Amino acid sequence: MKLSFTLNGVLVRADADPDERAVDLLRDLGALDVKEGCGTGECGACSVLVDGVHKLSCLLLAAQLAGRELTTAAGLGTVAAPHPIQRAFAEHGAVQCGFCTPGMTIAAAALLARNPEPSRLDARRAISGNLCRCTGYVKIVDAVCAAASELSEAPGGETPGAEDQA
Amino acid sequence: MHLRSSPPPRADALAKATGAERYVLDFAPAECLSAGAYRPGAALNIAHGRVLGVDASAALAVPGVLRVLTAADVPGTNLQGIVHKDQPVLCGEVIRHAGDPVALVLAESAESLRRGLAALRADIEPLPGVFDPEAALKKDAPLVHPQHKGGNLLLGARIEKGDARAALKNAPVVVRGEFSTPMQEHAFLETQCGFARLLPDGVLDMTVSTQAPFRDRFEIGHALALNPFKIRIRAPYLGGGFGGKDGATVQCLLALAALNAAGRPVRMSWEREESILAGYKRHAVHLRYTLGAERDGTLLALSCRLTYDTGAYAHLGCEVMELGMEHAAGPYRVPHTHIEGRCVYTNNPIAGAFRGFGVAQVSPAFEGLMDALAAKLCLDPLELRRKNALLPGDENCSGVTLTSSVHLAECLDELAAHPLWTTRQAWRAAAPRFTRRGVGLAAVFNGMGYGRGLADMAIAKLELTEAGEFLVYNSVADMGQGNAAAFALLAAQELNQSLAENPGAVRLLQPDTERCHPSGSSSAGRTTYTFGNALLKACAAMREKLLARAAMALFVDETQALELAPGAVLHPASGRSLPLTALARFLKRDDRVCVGEFLMPVAQDPPDTGRAFQIGFPHLFFSYGAHLARIEVDELTGRVRVCDFLAATDGGRVLDRSCFDQQAQGGAAQGIGYALLEEFKTRGGLIQTADLSTCLIPTALDLPDIQSLAVDGHEPTGPRGLKGVGEVGLNGPAPALASALEDATGERLRDFPLTPERVLAALNKRRPPSRRRA
Amino acid sequence: MNVVFPRNMAALFKALDEPGARVLAGGTDLLVRLRSHPDSGPATLVGLDRLPALRGVAEDSGWEPGLGTKDGRGDGSPSESVGPGTLHRALRLGAATTHAELLAHPLIRARLPVLAQALADLGSPPIRNMGTLGGNICTASPAGDTLPPLLALGAEVELAAKTGTRRLPLASFLLGPGRTALKPGEVLAAVCVPVPGVDVRQHFEKVGRRDALAVAVVSLAALVRTGHGGKIVEAHLAWGSVGPTVWRCPEVEAALAGRKLSLTALTEAASIVRSQVQPIDDVRASADYRREVAGNLLLRLAMLE
Repeated sequence: MKLSFTLNGVLVRADADPDERAVDLLRDLGALDVKEGCGTGECGACSVLVDGVHKLSCLLLAAQLAGRELTTAAGLGTVAAPHPIQRAFAEHGAVQCGFCTPGMTIAAAALLARNPEPSRLDARRAISGNLCRCTGYVKIVDAVCAAASELSEAPGGETPGAEDQA
Repeated sequence: MHLRSSPPPRADALAKATGAERYVLDFAPAECLSAGAYRPGAALNIAHGRVLGVDASAALAVPGVLRVLTAADVPGTNLQGIVHKDQPVLCGEVIRHAGDPVALVLAESAESLRRGLAALRADIEPLPGVFDPEAALKKDAPLVHPQHKGGNLLLGARIEKGDARAALKNAPVVVRGEFSTPMQEHAFLETQCGFARLLPDGVLDMTVSTQAPFRDRFEIGHALALNPFKIRIRAPYLGGGFGGKDGATVQCLLALAALNAAGRPVRMSWEREESILAGYKRHAVHLRYTLGAERDGTLLALSCRLTYDTGAYAHLGCEVMELGMEHAAGPYRVPHTHIEGRCVYTNNPIAGAFRGFGVAQVSPAFEGLMDALAAKLCLDPLELRRKNALLPGDENCSGVTLTSSVHLAECLDELAAHPLWTTRQAWRAAAPRFTRRGVGLAAVFNGMGYGRGLADMAIAKLELTEAGEFLVYNSVADMGQGNAAAFALLAAQELNQSLAENPGAVRLLQPDTERCHPSGSSSAGRTTYTFGNALLKACAAMREKLLARAAMALFVDETQALELAPGAVLHPASGRSLPLTALARFLKRDDRVCVGEFLMPVAQDPPDTGRAFQIGFPHLFFSYGAHLARIEVDELTGRVRVCDFLAATDGGRVLDRSCFDQQAQGGAAQGIGYALLEEFKTRGGLIQTADLSTCLIPTALDLPDIQSLAVDGHEPTGPRGLKGVGEVGLNGPAPALASALEDATGERLRDFPLTPERVLAALNKRRPPSRRRA
Repeated sequence: MNVVFPRNMAALFKALDEPGARVLAGGTDLLVRLRSHPDSGPATLVGLDRLPALRGVAEDSGWEPGLGTKDGRGDGSPSESVGPGTLHRALRLGAATTHAELLAHPLIRARLPVLAQALADLGSPPIRNMGTLGGNICTASPAGDTLPPLLALGAEVELAAKTGTRRLPLASFLLGPGRTALKPGEVLAAVCVPVPGVDVRQHFEKVGRRDALAVAVVSLAALVRTGHGGKIVEAHLAWGSVGPTVWRCPEVEAALAGRKLSLTALTEAASIVRSQVQPIDDVRASADYRREVAGNLLLRLAMLE
């Protein structure tokens, strides 16, 4: 089936099988920052924002993306122009193997869009659907809180995920 | 304006944080075929069985299925294994655990592979199995490897010092205990994966998520009768390893698939369930301990017997047990030791390397008895440890004199002075309703490197590129621990380059057997130590060379007059300089390369014990740690909440504090999971916790803000004085949490993990339910 | 397999009439099951993504206590929106509303804290953003986190079909693990929940093996109405994960009625629970543990004193 949607600000058209998963389509389209760790919604590595809401692309059908706005980690920022969340992850030691990191930054972006001043517990709750086996989460929480401070100091900073309801 | 925090972040961090870093599967060409192993045991509920036949007809009829290969199609020995070659690539006669593969399917796509695997049928006749080591060692037990001359005993070994029997007989105080520690799943986020292609020139070009690319060539070569030097392995950043990608995972299967793919690229990626079914686990261990001491708490003697369940294949079972035995008496002075170990084959999942390699299993036992001794003698548990802590120059429990750096006492002093310890009485007393509080601690250590019997060697290559940048040919895979970034940092410091000003001043090439020099595996806390030392030598040689070459161009007659500066060679006296870009063009390529090597020193005059070990005994270098845990126990559910956790670590000098803390926190997090949550369950060899909804690891809500303290030591042989800290952090949580639980409930639990069921049972033992207080 | 996304109720009913059609709500359970059993999948998945009629929280004007069935509201659309200031007899929760949407709704938080707590403990943030209340109910797992609170609250389900709508008490809708009274061609349109009075204490506790992404080992939803002198007038209790469906225990509710909400009364009630409940062993916990904790969780109500 044919469908089109916005991927990181760019309108894409794709042809997907009815039972194709969103994660497979996204990776086929070159969004290799979307990782798969389990396929059952238990790890969060495949996290994306769908119309600003944090969802799992392993539990979405590609067909469900039609007409939506998708944001993946690469859509938050790049090495040359990182999003404050991404820079905070790098600077606060929140990255080790890095396989969970794109999904973690998506969870963080969804949090900061609705809660600009999260407590450490808020940050832990927000990333509690994203497993990390390397860090013990301490520095990830550090990074999320540091990014929150930076974003709230700089009113120009924008985070996708404005419509997240959680 | 955003102010950059002073130390530059890890070299790999920003690319990973933005999702730009590429892992193995991200490199796989789109036109890859898909290969997958058929592991029928789990579906048939058979962990040990005779393979009567594999019916591939229906699978071959599935559109897109190209080949179904069985053991008959495997050239070579069909045997893999790092030290002991006992694990078939494809099982032709017998499956020895539920995850053993009997066929390999090659298909056009992931979807046709899935359908092909689902259409395969195997006729497997169940055989009687053995599922616990004691049963496996009985006289008439079914044999896992009938040709193994020790029966199901893979290895029995002994480490002895002095006369433990006599010393225990005469010891004024003796404490005893039996302990058991469970299997543990690595649960790296990136499952085992790789892709491969047989090139027209006969080279097998593989990209694999592996901790040991150089050794993989030989393992594949041996199993499949291939020339190992015609196998090229690349190891991009791993999405986690922790030991579980040390040894063959996809390698031999993938190579076999590529040999049958007519030159097309093939990928193999284990689904999470396959990763749990077929991946290596931490060894489950049973431990029986006796510890004797003087009335003042001075340790006299230890006797213990450790039984390691290695599962269906040896993998690194002997070596894992060796390390456990070498650490069996804890980081203490114990004059007399008698340590017995048995490593036993069963039809359980294959056990292998896992961070804390054998030592995480013994820590709860030796620390459990230290607490028991403290209680019996009414001594402060921290003081008792401080009193017996190993000091430089002491002889450890296997008889090795510690000529390397030892700072355990300082770790304990850090705990003793910490508010989490000094305020513990008041904190305990303030427990909320239905809640008990407890505080516990543990002292731990972990050997570094391979130990005697094989070269713990690294060879570092460094190039000044044509563009005037330095390129480090990293030979040791980075599974997330940050060694690659540490190498960039070491090289930048040694070459006086500023990564903060120019992150490209030192670049990294990830392991590639074609381009880098062999340097051993990413394991054993050796990675940064061994390769780092080799790299420092390569950097020193490079500096000398560049100064000498620049002397010609700058018309300077003595190299001492020159300095290596960021991006240039300087002549401070005249203020003249030669940019590295110019110098690079001036030099021929082979003149822009320096190679350094380093061989880890080994214990001199090793004690005459542990003779059963082929390799790995004894170790000379150790990292140390002291951990403190404060917990709350819910009286109604037995659930344990870790409120505070503190890890004080001696890892030599700290090169990068953030990376150091990452290792301490990450190790402790896995250790907390191991201690409390991660109950890997099997029944009759069949895995009950078969997916990530039952095979649990901690989420962000299950862990506290783990605090890391660095005891700034200095290991004279280490690069910039550092030691490996990857392993030691995992060893402390289990004993520290058991200790805290005893403090909270009055009961010592000796079987891990400390599940709510066990905790609730312990609470009830102390307080019958009918008299439950508010 | 085919997948369709109807945009109105008429289209939904048409899609559901196709043989082998099956509703895809949040997908957090269904797609996991289809992954492990790909060849048992339905011919057509009918996604509720684009059907605003099944979403939202509204006052349930049709609530009449004791009434088993109700006609009308054929398009299933919610009535006018409501604010936290109004007193409502009942709320109508659209079945395709996500857990996160419900959790964020001021009325749910203010008036149904027992449900809000269960929603807060359910899965993880992305699971709550995807999973729906209707999906949680139709999955009919004994561990479904929203089921104990909804049963304790006395919720009814509104089932819509081409031919009309019917209402059933939730307790009659849930038949067993994975089994409901949903008929072919029917869809769970809404859940109607009577709002407890201000004199009712609401409590929910879930015991899982970890604090997120956890399947309940035991859970308890409790509504306790107390009167003069702290005496229990009425207690509604529902346990999750201790039987094939959510477990109620009338004996315990009766035993608590008229007693002061105290540890003594709760301890006695807990022993009745332990003697009556019949849980099973599974990979997450033993039957013995579940039995004991099912009783113990009642003791926590002493904190409400």
